[in-house]
Amino acid sequence: MEIDPASTLQRKQSAYHSLDETFEIQKEVYRGQQYSQIYFARLHMLRTLLYSLVPSWKPHVPVCTVLGLEGGKECIIVGTLYKHMKLKPTILDEYSKERSAAPLVKRHNFMHPDDHLVLEDESGRVKLGGSLLSPTSYVTGVVVALHGKETDAGDFLVQDVLEAGLPSQLEFPLKSREDKYVVLVSGLSIGSSTCNPLQFQLLVDHITGHLGDEQEQGIAAEIVHVVIAGNSVEIPHGILNRQNLASKDLSRLSEPIKELDILLTQIAAGLPLDIMPGPNDPANFALPQQPLNRCLFPGSSAYNTFRSCTNPHCFELDNIRFLGTSGQNIEDLEKYSEAKNKLEFVERTLRWRHLAPTTPNTLGCYPFTDRDPFLIESCPHVYFVGNQDEYETQLVEGSEGQLVRLICIPKFCETGTAVVLNLRNLECHTLTFGTSV
Amino acid sequence: MSTSTRKRPPTSQHPSPAAHPSKQQATAPPPPQQTPKPPLEEEFLDEDVYLDETLIPYDDEESVILRDIEERQGLASRLAKWARPPLSDAYVSQSKNVVYQQLEIDYVIGECHRELLPDRFGPAAIIRIFGVTREGHSVCCNVHGFEPYFYISCPPGMGPDDISRFHQVLEGRMRDASRNGRVPKYVRRIELVQKRSIMYYQQQTSHPFLKIVVALPTMVTTCRGILDRGIQIDGLGTKSFMTYESNILFALRFMIDCNVVGGNWIEAPAGKYRRTAKNLSYCQLEFDCLYSELISHSPEGEFSKMAPFRILSFDIECAGRKGHFPEPIHDPVIQVANLVTLQGESQPFVRNVMTLKSCSPIVGVDVMSFDVEREVLLAWRDFIREIDPDIIIGYNICKFDLPYLIERAEALGIPEFPMLGRVRNSRVRVRDTTFSSRQYGIRESKEVTIEGRVQFDLFQAMQRDHKLSSYSLNSVSAHFLSEQKEDVHHSIISDLQNGNAETRRRLAVYCLKDAYLPQRLLDKLMFIYNYVEMARVTGVPISFLLSRGQSIKVLSQLLRKAKQKNLVIPNMKQAGSEQGTFEGATVLEARAGFYEKPIATLDFASLYPSIMMAYNLCYCTLVTPEDVRKLNLPPECVNRTPSGETFVKSNLQKGILPEILEELLAARKRAKADLKEAKDPLERAVLDGRQLALKISANSVYGFTGATIGQLPCLEISSSVTSYGRQMIEHTKKLVEDKFTVLGGYEHNGEVIYGDTDSVMVQFGVPTVEEAMKLGREAADYISGTFIKPIKLEFEKVYYPYLLISKKRYAGLYWTSPEKFDKMDTKGIETVRRDNCLLVKNLVTECLHKILIDRDIPEAVQYVKNTISDLLMNRVDLSLLVITKGLTKSGDDYDVKTAHAELAERMRKRDAATAPTVGDRVPYVIIKAAKGAKAYERSEDPIYVLENNIPIDPQYYLENQISKPLLRIFEPILKNASKELLQGSHTRSISISTPSNSGIMKFAKKQLTCIGCKALISNTNGTLCSHCKGREAELYCRTVSQVSELEELFGKLWTQCQECQGSLHQDVLCTSRDCPIFYRRKKAQKDMAEAKRQLDRWNF
Repeated sequence: MEIDPASTLQRKQSAYHSLDETFEIQKEVYRGQQYSQIYFARLHMLRTLLYSLVPSWKPHVPVCTVLGLEGGKECIIVGTLYKHMKLKPTILDEYSKERSAAPLVKRHNFMHPDDHLVLEDESGRVKLGGSLLSPTSYVTGVVVALHGKETDAGDFLVQDVLEAGLPSQLEFPLKSREDKYVVLVSGLSIGSSTCNPLQFQLLVDHITGHLGDEQEQGIAAEIVHVVIAGNSVEIPHGILNRQNLASKDLSRLSEPIKELDILLTQIAAGLPLDIMPGPNDPANFALPQQPLNRCLFPGSSAYNTFRSCTNPHCFELDNIRFLGTSGQNIEDLEKYSEAKNKLEFVERTLRWRHLAPTTPNTLGCYPFTDRDPFLIESCPHVYFVGNQDEYETQLVEGSEGQLVRLICIPKFCETGTAVVLNLRNLECHTLTFGTSV
Repeated sequence: MSTSTRKRPPTSQHPSPAAHPSKQQATAPPPPQQTPKPPLEEEFLDEDVYLDETLIPYDDEESVILRDIEERQGLASRLAKWARPPLSDAYVSQSKNVVYQQLEIDYVIGECHRELLPDRFGPAAIIRIFGVTREGHSVCCNVHGFEPYFYISCPPGMGPDDISRFHQVLEGRMRDASRNGRVPKYVRRIELVQKRSIMYYQQQTSHPFLKIVVALPTMVTTCRGILDRGIQIDGLGTKSFMTYESNILFALRFMIDCNVVGGNWIEAPAGKYRRTAKNLSYCQLEFDCLYSELISHSPEGEFSKMAPFRILSFDIECAGRKGHFPEPIHDPVIQVANLVTLQGESQPFVRNVMTLKSCSPIVGVDVMSFDVEREVLLAWRDFIREIDPDIIIGYNICKFDLPYLIERAEALGIPEFPMLGRVRNSRVRVRDTTFSSRQYGIRESKEVTIEGRVQFDLFQAMQRDHKLSSYSLNSVSAHFLSEQKEDVHHSIISDLQNGNAETRRRLAVYCLKDAYLPQRLLDKLMFIYNYVEMARVTGVPISFLLSRGQSIKVLSQLLRKAKQKNLVIPNMKQAGSEQGTFEGATVLEARAGFYEKPIATLDFASLYPSIMMAYNLCYCTLVTPEDVRKLNLPPECVNRTPSGETFVKSNLQKGILPEILEELLAARKRAKADLKEAKDPLERAVLDGRQLALKISANSVYGFTGATIGQLPCLEISSSVTSYGRQMIEHTKKLVEDKFTVLGGYEHNGEVIYGDTDSVMVQFGVPTVEEAMKLGREAADYISGTFIKPIKLEFEKVYYPYLLISKKRYAGLYWTSPEKFDKMDTKGIETVRRDNCLLVKNLVTECLHKILIDRDIPEAVQYVKNTISDLLMNRVDLSLLVITKGLTKSGDDYDVKTAHAELAERMRKRDAATAPTVGDRVPYVIIKAAKGAKAYERSEDPIYVLENNIPIDPQYYLENQISKPLLRIFEPILKNASKELLQGSHTRSISISTPSNSGIMKFAKKQLTCIGCKALISNTNGTLCSHCKGREAELYCRTVSQVSELEELFGKLWTQCQECQGSLHQDVLCTSRDCPIFYRRKKAQKDMAEAKRQLDRWNF
């Protein structure tokens, strides 16, 4: 059969530029450093920024440190919030003398009405009072500027709050716009009981253009990039620690990875692919998670379109900046604070200018000594979070006109849904694959 | 001015004491009345040491203080705002009744009050009552006119002339015995009174007694000695006398006679008191009053409340020299942190810290910095004076903080420092004391008397009231407040002090926390309520509760009751253990086993008190064997106890012990009923404290009669009580096994499997908790019916399942309702012993959990096997293997070599600065060493072990730590427990780490091995050997999962420590070896580095 050259679809291309360098910890080692330094770095960076904003926020109020507070005098203090939580689980619970007979119900949220906030800088701590700053929406690790005064009880009565806000953004490239699509997917969970292999195969077939009529293939040809945001496989953790593995267990261990590799090879053969590690993947635990080792992907890693990335992951496509995580940061916020939906959590992190404020307090992270890589220094155009329960999206506008597309990517294994983003206008839609007849 | 604080001769400006305390007479030629004291005296009561031996000249001191205060004007104004509220006009004009809650009662020797007692002269004892009014004013009430006295029985045929002759002779002997000539009359008067001895049943209601009233309290002892040895009276010959009530502390005597109980409210009506001409104390209200004018309110209604006392909680920090525990002669006091709380308030109203050298400010805390140590100490003294605390609390303040401050001031030559009490001119003294008691053992301590202020050392209270594995402030707060306390090693304290204002601030924050924790413990455990209530119930001053044993409490109640009944209590000779011992409580043979059917427990409610009430057992109902024959009492009027004693029944003579017990138990019932009604949390706290105090008091009466070196031992009573107790347990067993039988119409035969002092465990054979409860109730009612009231058998709980190991050792699930069990109850399975490592505790707890709650014995066995295998394979977390022991003396002083002392010695050679010193706790692990090495040679510092990969000795842990407790649990369950658990395939593979610093490693060459199979690989960049190439994914997953787990742990551990220290931006300094995560944290840090290296090998 002769191939009609006109009908040969040419996949579109886009310029890719990785910005993961800041999340890499190749050269850093554990030398006994503690977590105080990362807090210090965070406070230092954000305080410089907040100080620069104060003159336009409250021009006449003096700025002082927690130590410099004088009773009754109004002032502005900048520091790291610490949320005192009654129900927060601690490792010391392991040692609690009475092991309760009934197994505790694992809680999803550790909030308690008695929780209160404390502001800390290098000089000291002060308990925050007043109803303005709600302990339900803030978490430990956020840096803010507060306007208020010290009360007789020694508390700081908060009258106003200033958050760092959205950072400045590179201009959104407008010239020569054409439809180009990026597929975002997460939570494939190959190897888990809920995983349906056919579903993902359909997605792969769709992306690579093996599905549907010409029109659909035409759309598929406009997909320029695929991002897999964490939890691609599920490995039974229980068997990993045993000393001698039976061959059956061995296969349970390596089968999901092999299967993933096969599917990824199919994608990588067609278009560029970024894979990020997630909490269940064979990667390290602490953020930033380092790229999945290439030895896990003997097939797909042969293609130069295959990129194993860090989590969080930052890159640019045609000068559009993407920033995203596999979801741990939002999951942790959900445990220790409240919001009407997941997008609100996502938006908060953006306004706090910090991807994961709860690191290292409740979310594990590497003890950096001289920097805090989770600070959002430049505003992304697209900010995505993987492994969420449902698809949500929203366009957020910053005070300087920054426009950010926030996306919660649902778990694919549970919803069969992937998210498609149009680079031209940052509009989003979903792709859902059903396999039931 | 001399810095000596002891034995200062009284100056002429001051009333001179009339007699010396008996202790000081030791320097004089041994007077005839000196009695040798038994070496082990429990609460020897006649040490009436009078208190003004350390007064310094009045004007002298005043000027010293004035001068000081001028120098520190700034400080004074800073402190002034915390002074007590000013007196209202009604108080100033003395037109108001002074109603106050008293906290402390003592006495001094002074001149008789001329106006109140116009007809007396010479020195006399003046009772001082310190207290607080409802408005928060401090009160010092000088009570006049109360005289010391005691009784002797009057020899038959003694007429008024004989008495006056006797008086003269006694006066003469007293004058000879004392060298003090200023007392005009030693024996003030002798009165003939009608009383009866408490001992033995007597038919006559009273006998003549002589009440001997002496001039000063210390003379009671002297006089008693004279009478004990015998006195020559014309016409009667030489006669020795048995004395009665001659060993009662003067202050207690006063309290008993005036119906004052510890911590109650006292009223001095307007017009009956006079303001003192010149105040001798720093109290706001100081007045003189006759003892007969005081109104003592019983603690009920309005008077059950607490006054707003000021409670000071403080802690000091000292900068020790490297390698030494701080000593007051060398090492300065660098910080003192103080918190002052009003009783009943939840937050302290003063928080401050006094520091040597500058210190950065702390939010909410008044930081006062001084350049010289002298100023720090004097500032603290001024602070105490200005704040005027009623109660001083802290952790180990009696043994450490207070003596240290005082000795330090002495070393620095600041004679004006130790004036911390409420009495002007008086210095605080430090005395070494030994407290010994059957119940609490012997404790060496220091006694610091701060006049007018109650000291409450939480450390002592904890040791007394709670059985804990460790009493460090850290572990006590972990236990009760679920909080770990940061612990800064004393070698770091000096470094922080020598740093800058910031590092000293860090230390101050730590010091404040140490001052705050005792206050939190006090609140949490309701110590104030419980102790005040205990003082009210038993009628002793609050300060006795911590410094003395149980028996004074019973004695105080006995004396009060005896006084009402016109009875007097003989001063029995200290009999020592001559009276022999008696058979204790009975324990029925335990049928060890694992019971999977419900076991009903029948308990005797307050068994011993009930027996004493039921059988009217008392000193005054006991019939002497001689009288049994002589009096010919009808059998229906007496009880013969199973131990062979005879007591009369209550129709002839009601015993006073039963009466005390009835009142205590009735009061407890009332308190419990009120508690149910009460809404106000403070009122509830008082009532709950009261019911607890009543329960404890009721139970200690029995012990009092059995304390052979106590105040009034009467083994006839105690042995009768236990013999009845034994009889009742046997009786219950018999009744249960006779009645609950298949023959008797029940489904199963009931079986008593175990019985202890006051409870009996019955297996009724029924399968459900509900049925067992039903039968239990039935049995309890049935058997109770066969006992004399108020002895009652109660059904309380069911154990199901129940693991009975041996007598006094069992574990079971505790059910009080058939729906769900309340808790897991264990007894005698000492998982919390200090010399056990954490592994033992975890293992035992987990096994019991699996056996009792999960009901899965195979799983428990598997768990044990896995743990043993982990131990042998070196996979157990090192922190679980750490054993801790306190270093009480230096290594050479121990008679036998001990593991911890030897280790301390070795560590000192390595680094003297951080090595543990006397007083520290030494943590160690047992390491592998050459064959035949003694256990004490194999101890090693856990950190050293971590850093150098030294192999631990799993065999030691297996044999000496875990095997015994495990076998105890499993023997009733498994047939071959020892073989099954401790031998077998799981014990065959072992792994030992190679030490990184041992000799052999110097010759070893390091080479990379394949991560998969440990084969050597030559390619320096490789990870796997050629055979393992195909398993890359699997092997990588394993490596990375280890890293991932460690990372998670690392994060949790280090953020927890940040949490404890209360700061995010500062490094964690804590080196609390008591903290369970200390070693884990260190280990995680080290393991993390190693795991990361392994992982990096994959990045080729």
